[in-house]
Amino acid sequence: MSKDRQMPNESPYQRMLQECLRGELRVLNAHLPCEQKALSALLTDEYPNVVCHDGSTHLFKRRELEYLAGMLDTDEQAALLLPILIEANPGQDEMAIICRGKVEDKVTAKILDMPVTTKQKRIMLYKPQLALIRKSLKTTTQYLFAPKSSSTLAPL
Amino acid sequence: MPQLIKVRPTKIELIKLRRRLSLAIRIQKIVKDRLSILMLEFLQIARETAQARRGLLEEFSEAYKASSIAVGYQGYIALEKDLLASEQDLEITTGSRNVAGARVPSFELKGAEKATRGYSLADTSSCLDQTAQRAEKCLEDIVILAELQSSLELLGREINRTKRIVNALEYLIVPSLQATIKYLYMKFEERDREEKSRLKRVKVLLEQR
Repeated sequence: MSKDRQMPNESPYQRMLQECLRGELRVLNAHLPCEQKALSALLTDEYPNVVCHDGSTHLFKRRELEYLAGMLDTDEQAALLLPILIEANPGQDEMAIICRGKVEDKVTAKILDMPVTTKQKRIMLYKPQLALIRKSLKTTTQYLFAPKSSSTLAPL
Repeated sequence: MPQLIKVRPTKIELIKLRRRLSLAIRIQKIVKDRLSILMLEFLQIARETAQARRGLLEEFSEAYKASSIAVGYQGYIALEKDLLASEQDLEITTGSRNVAGARVPSFELKGAEKATRGYSLADTSSCLDQTAQRAEKCLEDIVILAELQSSLELLGREINRTKRIVNALEYLIVPSLQATIKYLYMKFEERDREEKSRLKRVKVLLEQR
């Protein structure tokens, strides 16, 4: 913590708590990938993985990649970027799948077995739906914690 | 009663405290969200673990039955000879995945389905083939269960840690910050009142002269 932010009579306990909270915010999105990879590229890799911001690697399961490839054609496989990001907004019950194209729509609709609507490049999901998606796409989806609510965020 | 933080009763300190309070509330919301996601994942993995364990026990019993039949059909020594020939190394891809900030392992058995198993199909019975198939399925299930169980353990630990942070924020940090801010406001109001009464007193004294 910088000196100007410290309280003059702040106890070490308070300082530690504050530092712990700041650390919590820092690590929250550290697991996000530096760059997303196309499904078609991952299918050709021997060990399909992406490098995260914290330097670690996130391994994709081949079974899941093949499951996704089974429901998409070649062009769509090249357009689908993995991992698919699921945005969690503070204080909201729904979560959102960030989608850049129509492919994410198609994948979500097929897994949920119902039509989905995209609003501001996001597909809103309720928790039971999220559980269904996470059950079939464990490694190919990742959570993203938005610091502010999505209504205040600019569209991607 | 929340504990007051020792601060100088100045406006600067009040601004700093208010900034800290807004940060704490923001973090509280995010950490609560993270906890709910972790709980969701934990429950799902717990259900899957129970299912996988049941499936594995069933597979084990089926494999044991099949191996008993194979032993009865071929004889123990002949079967052992065939099994020695079919011994192969296992290849498991290991890595990790991240579930809302919690790192959990990821295992995948490579080449689980083999075309040939190392023994002669002409010299052995179909019972042995069936036993081998069952055993391979058991291996796959063991790897899946290992992943699920270790994930469950790690997620449980992360949930405990996150819960402690949420409780500390909810019952300690935020109330003490709110109480200190309230105390500072009261102190400033008290100072204003003192100032007013002092001015009135001075005014009366001046009028008396």
